[in-house]
Amino acid sequence: MKTPSLNYKKANIKPVWCPGCGDYAVFSALQKSFGELELKPEETVIVSGIGCSGRVSHYFNTYSLHGTHGRAVPTATGVKTVRPDLTVLCVGGDGDGLSIGGGHIAPAARKNIDITYLLLDNSIYGLTKGQVSPTTPETYTTRTTPYGTLEENIEALPIFLAYDISFVARVNALNMKQMVSVITAAIRHKGMSIVYIMSPCVTYPAMPWNSLKEGWEEIPEDHPRDDKMKSLELAYCKSPLYTGIFYDVERPTIGERLDQAKERGLKKNSKEGDLLTVETILKDFY
Amino acid sequence: MESLLKDFKSNVDFIIRIAGEGGEGVISCGELFASVVARTEYHVFTFITYPAEMRGGYSMIQIRVRDFTIYSLGSKVDYLVVFNQDAYDRSIADLKKGGVLFYDPETVTVKESDDIVSYDIPLTKIAKEITGGTLGKNVVALGLLGNLFGVSIDALKKLISDRYGKKGEAVTEKNYQALDAGSRFVEEKKIESFYRLSTGKEVSQNYMFLSGNQAVAMGALAAGCRFVAGYPLTPSTSIFETLHKYMPLVGGRAIQMEDEIAAISAIIGASFAGEKVITPTSGPGLQLMAEQISLASMIEVPLVIIDVQRGGPSTGLPTKTEQSDLKFAIYGGAGEAPKIILAPTSVEDTFYQTIRAFNLAEQYQLPVIMLLDQSIGYRKATVKLPDFSKIRQMNHVKKGDFIKIPQAHLIDIYDRIEPDEEELKDYKRYEDTKDGVSSIARPGIPGGQYLATGLEHDEYGYSTQLPDNHLKMSKKRLRKLQTISRSFEKNPIEFYGYHYAKIGIIGWGSTEGAIREARYLAEKEGIKIRHLHPHTISPLPERQISRFLLGLKFLIVAEENLTGQFAHFIKAKFGVRPIEIHKCEGTPFTPDEIYRSIKKVARISDEDTITQL
Repeated sequence: MKTPSLNYKKANIKPVWCPGCGDYAVFSALQKSFGELELKPEETVIVSGIGCSGRVSHYFNTYSLHGTHGRAVPTATGVKTVRPDLTVLCVGGDGDGLSIGGGHIAPAARKNIDITYLLLDNSIYGLTKGQVSPTTPETYTTRTTPYGTLEENIEALPIFLAYDISFVARVNALNMKQMVSVITAAIRHKGMSIVYIMSPCVTYPAMPWNSLKEGWEEIPEDHPRDDKMKSLELAYCKSPLYTGIFYDVERPTIGERLDQAKERGLKKNSKEGDLLTVETILKDFY
Repeated sequence: MESLLKDFKSNVDFIIRIAGEGGEGVISCGELFASVVARTEYHVFTFITYPAEMRGGYSMIQIRVRDFTIYSLGSKVDYLVVFNQDAYDRSIADLKKGGVLFYDPETVTVKESDDIVSYDIPLTKIAKEITGGTLGKNVVALGLLGNLFGVSIDALKKLISDRYGKKGEAVTEKNYQALDAGSRFVEEKKIESFYRLSTGKEVSQNYMFLSGNQAVAMGALAAGCRFVAGYPLTPSTSIFETLHKYMPLVGGRAIQMEDEIAAISAIIGASFAGEKVITPTSGPGLQLMAEQISLASMIEVPLVIIDVQRGGPSTGLPTKTEQSDLKFAIYGGAGEAPKIILAPTSVEDTFYQTIRAFNLAEQYQLPVIMLLDQSIGYRKATVKLPDFSKIRQMNHVKKGDFIKIPQAHLIDIYDRIEPDEEELKDYKRYEDTKDGVSSIARPGIPGGQYLATGLEHDEYGYSTQLPDNHLKMSKKRLRKLQTISRSFEKNPIEFYGYHYAKIGIIGWGSTEGAIREARYLAEKEGIKIRHLHPHTISPLPERQISRFLLGLKFLIVAEENLTGQFAHFIKAKFGVRPIEIHKCEGTPFTPDEIYRSIKKVARISDEDTITQL
């Protein structure tokens, strides 16, 4: 592994995460990936939502937008649509991405917008101090389920596959080497990529570090990444729990489709195929 | 002193209303007729009301034709075409004494009346003979109107083939036959034509005929906006559609998002990335956007949001007009977030105010909400084409420069202020400047990297909760409003009429024309009026308004809602007690309605003078 040639960390700013938080590992993996990809900080945009994970955008020396709860994906969609030249990353937690902002994932998948979405799951609302999240295990009592769980938790991976996100991966914060290589591949991927990261909370251990130590296995090398049924099988598999790239296909992005639509529009409306001026367009209203 | 009398002198000024049921083609009939008239030397102004459903329900289009500029849809109707009983029942009271009624005897029973002239036109019968069904009634009516008002039938045919050509040759041919049959009917019945609108005179090509919604779209493109994200919402959708059609052709991008929250999020992202952005919506959508509007104020990204207001609350009257989002636009949102609220007054003004909205958003880095309403969004009017040779791209603007209101002969386009090399050495994105405006870096600029966070932050953008900093940065953001307010005072005064009048009237947005005509009616009766119609609702140019209020005995505030939202705002700011005129019926004010209120106030004013003596 190459050492990062560029520094992506903001000087003088210390992360506010609790000691032992999984987000430190993700933070570190992201820096390594950026280094491997030799991204220029000024051409990289990190959009994050609200939650402990949302703080990731604060610590990078990139252009960063820390917006509102659940809206990171459509915000990043706007960035990438007007600036295809930028590398756009989106960071959020399980509350941000599976609860309040859950509705934005399917439309982004349909657009196949060329962003990388890092969904850091700690199975709890950590920043607001321990309420139930969509992935909190039934056995874990939270401050808003004091007498036991009221809802089933959800399995995120099969949902991402059903949405047909063109790159779906899961990694475990304990496996730094794999995390770096998967994040790097996700950023390289053309189209929407999602990396579902198991990133434990130490203060509200709904997903204790111990649960990441055993029962996990890397996806076998020969797994056909374009086979959705096989990917679904791996995604649903409980024993072992797989990490790595489940699904990776190439599909046109909305950026490409917008370019094609523009060409078709110009063919129909412009003699030379050149862009029209507003003055010409106003003549349509004569 | 400015007299309106000469403004309102005209030889040709009449109103046609075509009314029927949604799905009968009433509106397309009227639109085609209006488009052809717009190509003559006359001015045209349309007003549409239609049901929220695809089919059924009362639907009508009103077309006013005049030899000079038209300010409002007018009051009573001169010519009424009704397709069914409901349309007759709902419209007949609006027909002028001596007006002309056309009705279909198969579907309408009329009451005998000596006050009007009636013609029975067997629209259904003629249509059936040609198309075998009731479809095509509207085209028969179009042929009839075309002949009666002496517009070119060939021009109508051209428009029909443009509009319905896609349905195939057979359909177009049937439409031509229906058109001719309607036209022939005039001769058969020996109805004398009313006007010859096509005089064959050379028509100036410097006029456009477009709706308020289309004017928003065109204004946005002219201002350099190259990204739109939105979600369909009546009655704003045609802005979105028009931008979808043209945005790619000028090199911009248009995307439909999954909801209004996503739409405004996308434009926030795109604006952060350096693009000029817009999202069109209506009241219900504006409510959904509220949280993100606060974010935009906090991270200081320029946004233009168009609210084409409709009847509320909730789903309300989706296709009808109302001015009831004002308070929400000004006050909606948690925290104290600066934004600008504009309200254009006519279709033409909408074009220029849209450009202004972008200039202000870019210059001051905050959301600008422009309040239209259904009546202006769907109104079509002839508008003078701007002089494109006079468009100036203002590249080297200094912070706090005075931005002139764009007009046909002077359009300045402003972009956001980017940091210079000196600033980038130690870049403070949110520098606490004298006017509150700090330079904004675009991704890609090395050294300009910063964090835009909805959390309270310091001048660099780092989040901090320190009490001193919160006060300092809140002041920095809100100081922009003071800068803007001061700058607005330099704009030409937006009040009209007699400087020494004792009665003043204030309106906002789309009611400008109706109030102007009401003023004319009052003036004819010797009642002198002062009229204020601010384009900027918030922040208000306070000194200008104070000057307007000076010496007034009576202040009327007219608006299309039930609670007097603007009146409330004026009361709070200036401590005055206005007489409020409200209309909350889903339709716009007519000049008559406003005039009647003015007359009442004038009477009280006279009596008051007597008692004082």
